Amino acid sequence: MSVCVAVVGHQNNPLYIQSFTDADDALKLHHIVHCSLDVIDERVNNPKKSGPLLNETFLGLLYPADNYKVFGYLTNTKVKFILVTTDVDVRDASVRNFFRRFHSAYVDAVSNPFHVPGKKITSKTFAGRVSAIVSSFGSSTTTD
Amino acid sequence: MGREVSESCIDSLLTEIVSSYSTRFYANKPELAARTIEAIGYQVGHQLSERYTMDRPRFSDHLEAIKFICKDFWSELFKKQIDNLKTNHRGTFVLQDNRFRWLSRVSNPILDEASAKDPEALAQNKAAQAETSAAQATSMLLYFPCGIIRGALSNLGIPCAVSADISNLPTCSFVVRIKA
Repeated sequence: MSVCVAVVGHQNNPLYIQSFTDADDALKLHHIVHCSLDVIDERVNNPKKSGPLLNETFLGLLYPADNYKVFGYLTNTKVKFILVTTDVDVRDASVRNFFRRFHSAYVDAVSNPFHVPGKKITSKTFAGRVSAIVSSFGSSTTTD
Repeated sequence: MGREVSESCIDSLLTEIVSSYSTRFYANKPELAARTIEAIGYQVGHQLSERYTMDRPRFSDHLEAIKFICKDFWSELFKKQIDNLKTNHRGTFVLQDNRFRWLSRVSNPILDEASAKDPEALAQNKAAQAETSAAQATSMLLYFPCGIIRGALSNLGIPCAVSADISNLPTCSFVVRIKA
């Protein structure tokens, strides 16, 4: 089950952060997201892989923390998406799929003419779509 | 499948934006009108670049991003690619479109007829005047696409200045100067 998603702008400014847990550990999750920004920076500036993977938007597993797994995604416009999940065995393909859907939700949200670039995303539609994507991600990994 | 819009509607909208800003809102301040139109284009380019770069790997350098603008971005907007790309390898790029769609319905200022009828001096004066005002009106149309290019590039992390240059219609070149 995924517990937290975040969108971080190109200057590491938070654009959207939402946790999906009942327990009162939002602060801890925010801390995990915060830590992952350094990992993303490191990945991007010192790429180890070569070939077609070099500039892929999907960054893969950033780091395991306690009982969480943190995945990252960096768009062409230097916007970072971060997913924190508690699932033990997460398939790469399903995370990719999650980020792809998340990205299109994000694009639709920022294409709103009333959205100010660089400001937090306050759209309720976006929040609704994100929770739909998150819940479908959780169910898809548990069923198969 | 992307959604499409009617080309004539876009043409009319652009013409109307330009005429509203330059004759109604900021009639006495053409500079301010141009800046405002450019800012509208900037927002459009900013949002479009987010959408059109969705399914592609990140660009490793400036040239790749510019190539993306020339090929994919231009195809999405105008259903054609930029015809010629020149660069001095020091941050200046010239993107030339031999048949720029938003100028394809702008008439060439041919004023031969007028000068044949009127007395010579007067005609020359008038023709020159008409020509400069026509050139001015055409250049107002180009602030919007300039803004689009600038918005797209700065969203991709490349701050730049874009200016347009019309030598003979409907050929049009956009000069992109990347800020170091």
